Amino acid sequence: MSRFRRTIRENAVPFALISPAILVILIVVLLPLLFSFYTSFSNYKLIRPDTLWDWIGLRNYERIMGDWDFWVAFGRTVLFLTVALNLEMLFGLGLALLVNKITYGQRTMRTIMMFPMMFSPILVGFQFKYLFNDTIGLVNNALQALGITHEAIPFLVDRWWAFFSIAFAEIWMSTSIFAILILAGLFAMPKDPVEAAKVDGCSNWQVFRHITLPFLMPFIYIAMTIRSLDVARAYDVVDVMTGGGPAGRTELLWTLIARTAYDDARMGRANAMAYVSILLSIFFTWYFFRKLMDARKHLGAF
Amino acid sequence: MPSRTKDILIWITTFMIMLIICMPGLWIILSAFRTNGEILTKPAIWIPETLTLDNFRAIFGYGENVVGVPVASYFRNSIIISATSTFLAVFIGMTGGYAFARYRFPGKGSTFLWLMLSRTVPGIALSLPIFIIWSRMGIIDTKFGVILVYTAINVPFTIWLTEGFFRQVPQDLNEAAQIDGCTRWEAFWKIEFPLAKSGIASAGIFAFLTSWNEYALASQLTRSTDSKTLPVGLMDFTAQFTIDWAGMCAMAVIIIIPALILTFLVQKHLIAGLTFGGVKG
Amino acid sequence: MAEVSLKNVVKRYGALEVVHGIDLEIAHNEFVVLVGPSGCGKSTTLRMIAGLEDISDGEIAIGDKVVNMLPPRKRNISMVFQNYALYPHMSVRENLGFSLKIAKRAPEDITKAVDDAADILGLTELLERTPAELSGGQRQRVAMGRAIVRHPDVFLFDEPLSNLDAKLRTQMRVEIKKLHSKVKTTIVYVTHDQIEAMTLADRIVIMKDGHIVQIGTPLEVFERPVDTFVAGFIGSPPMNLIEGSVKDDHVVFSDGRSLPVPPDFTGKIANGRRVVFGFRADVLMPKGHTLAESGVLHDIDLTIDMAEPLGSESILLTTLGGQDIQARMHNPRPVTSGEVLTCELHLEKCHLFDADTTQSLRG
Ligand SMILES: Nc1ncnc2c1ncn2[C@@H]1O[C@H](COP(=O)(O)OP(=O)(O)OP(=O)(O)O)[C@@H](O)[C@H]1O
Ligand SMILES: [Mg+2]
Repeated sequence: MSRFRRTIRENAVPFALISPAILVILIVVLLPLLFSFYTSFSNYKLIRPDTLWDWIGLRNYERIMGDWDFWVAFGRTVLFLTVALNLEMLFGLGLALLVNKITYGQRTMRTIMMFPMMFSPILVGFQFKYLFNDTIGLVNNALQALGITHEAIPFLVDRWWAFFSIAFAEIWMSTSIFAILILAGLFAMPKDPVEAAKVDGCSNWQVFRHITLPFLMPFIYIAMTIRSLDVARAYDVVDVMTGGGPAGRTELLWTLIARTAYDDARMGRANAMAYVSILLSIFFTWYFFRKLMDARKHLGAF
Repeated sequence: MPSRTKDILIWITTFMIMLIICMPGLWIILSAFRTNGEILTKPAIWIPETLTLDNFRAIFGYGENVVGVPVASYFRNSIIISATSTFLAVFIGMTGGYAFARYRFPGKGSTFLWLMLSRTVPGIALSLPIFIIWSRMGIIDTKFGVILVYTAINVPFTIWLTEGFFRQVPQDLNEAAQIDGCTRWEAFWKIEFPLAKSGIASAGIFAFLTSWNEYALASQLTRSTDSKTLPVGLMDFTAQFTIDWAGMCAMAVIIIIPALILTFLVQKHLIAGLTFGGVKG
Repeated sequence: MAEVSLKNVVKRYGALEVVHGIDLEIAHNEFVVLVGPSGCGKSTTLRMIAGLEDISDGEIAIGDKVVNMLPPRKRNISMVFQNYALYPHMSVRENLGFSLKIAKRAPEDITKAVDDAADILGLTELLERTPAELSGGQRQRVAMGRAIVRHPDVFLFDEPLSNLDAKLRTQMRVEIKKLHSKVKTTIVYVTHDQIEAMTLADRIVIMKDGHIVQIGTPLEVFERPVDTFVAGFIGSPPMNLIEGSVKDDHVVFSDGRSLPVPPDFTGKIANGRRVVFGFRADVLMPKGHTLAESGVLHDIDLTIDMAEPLGSESILLTTLGGQDIQARMHNPRPVTSGEVLTCELHLEKCHLFDADTTQSLRG
């Protein structure tokens, strides 16, 4: 006890400085999460407050384990994230390499590249709902005007087209984060190793593969880590574009949680699902953070 | 291929790609200045015949086709909520970031990690318990309730950024100032704060943008014109039978403009903060 | 008047003790240099005097005031940091005047004090620049200027010259010395460069592993090191130290060769005792290349491995008792490797240390 007191006293200043941060996180994140952890073991329904005390043990978890719709949404979410993050990374890398090569007007290009970052996810969703609309959407209008298609493509209705559309929106929204961070990596890159490799007879591709790319890896992982912190932003996009519909065809974990909680009013079950989604997010973040640490170690120089 | 031709080709390629990237956004902005009739016409009219500000007048309640969406209230709410939560998040994040940058204390590493991990909780997952608790506490559908939440979700990132910026200010400047007669407090405000100022400003702008653009939490925690923010308000247009595309586009522009300006302001610092914080551990 | 006194000062970081009860009395206007190898606790000691580190135990007084609980700003000290710690967002003038501004002195006073300090240090031309626009040596001068404007009771320097190149370092060393004679104050100066210590100090404090090993004037620590550590640390090249055992007033080395014990020790050391025989390169010189000096001389034949010509003298590398040792050759001539030279050793300038405790055997 006295040791505890001494620790507090010796570190009074830093403890005092971080305490507001801890306090606000405690109230807004930790307490609610503890509460939702509890409700995930109850039969809590929003419309019947007394059900909060209706302890049902692991039943919610058992239910979602056996719930086909849940697993489809889960699988779709993982697929969605994998596809989106990888493509964002590839496009971002390509874009960064292109912009890095440009000498004239590079600054302007860089600024233009950040354009999508200014859009809130909800706007991105709305924007593509508008563009992919089957009667007045720019895309369908253009395709028909150019004579490529005669019928409107049901971008937001057909199962695969809808998945394509939400992934497209997500990738549009986030590619520039990758591009910007990778570009920062390219700027920070020392010239000597590249020149040495060229002297050693490496082709352009070999230089990229063995010198540039390893150097960029930490930057790519930072981008991945930052992105995985807010993958759930995709909820906003999908909520506007399709609302998870039609008929659950674009349901992601997050839209399913919202529906279960508010439309079906099954708070308990929704909270159980929410825990699965939290674990998924933490997993992604943790995975990329580890990768970042490894990449950093490899590059000892940093 | 001569390198000059190659350069020009690369430039043109990049320019085309940029154009394609900007296209969707530009189309929305253009649509905001067109009439609903023109937007809905089939076959499509590509080159607008008239550009008008009517849509903006309409969403703010002036002109003939007044829309039933109280955009002015939403705008005010958004400003109040974003500005207040940004101020709080920067203050709390800055003190925290300073502690992490300047002091050693037991449990430092794990505290930092847990603070950061709190940021990974998906908004929608967090909204469920907060919705219930805030309801019981009677702060649901209030600006205060949203401000509290936004402050918390912005704190981890603000800490991360400011910690990086404070770490770039050498410790001995603070000590030199103390020897020159400052208290620790004065040393902070006279030396360290001015040097980290631009970084802190960009952390603030970043927090502002996060709040300004947030939807998942706000959509559950706000109900009425008392607290609804612009992103939530955008959904009002879709709730009606026929979607008022022109009005929606106009509102989109209202949401984008502040974000546009602020992003331009911080871009340099933001990149520096993110990469240095992450790479130089 | 500002004496500085440390009484049994201890510094602990958590359970780790890095300074183990230091006692030190520094007189008014004295220039004291703390030297020692990296990590021995010099900076920590200095920072405790400055008030930048808490004192875990013991007492520090400046003047007649115990300052243990006083923050740095109340101790009337100033400090020059290794990396200068100039405020990057202020001009040189603002940097120099900052402490006076904090003390709420009148603007005219500040201008005058800054101009005076700039004058002393030759900074007048640079006053309106920012630190980023200065060279290393100029930054160093600004850092010193910032320290002198306030006329503090005590100056603290933490390796102020270690970031400069060799030539500038020599030059700044001279300037610091001059500065001390101009602005009379007590100075505590930390360095790990023993030449700086020798040239600047009134008294040198040699530290090792958080202890003070020896305190004395430069000449005292040079001529009468208390143990092999000080002997090896002070002086360049370092003192030759050869282990052996005593037999009939001779020290016998592992290769069978021997030297007589220095005259001070004759008859005082028991046979069989393990000792370290120490002497500097300066007291071992080839015959005919000595400085004309009288004393107790002992001749010894040495096989020269290599000569390092320095111009007016050469350093000869050779071996004795299985140890690489160095000798000094005045008015040098070319020496071929393998050549055998008869050398004179000034016995009364040699030292004996106990091989186990490393302490000097001098009474
Ligand atoms: N904050 C700290 N926590 C724990 N140990 C520390 C701390 N600061 C210094 N030390 C330890 O205290 C010892 C003395 O450090 P100090 O900085 O005084 O050395 P120094 O003599 O100045 O060395 P150098 O010549 O390298 O500057 C070192 O072993 C160091 O590792
Ligand atoms: Mg030191």
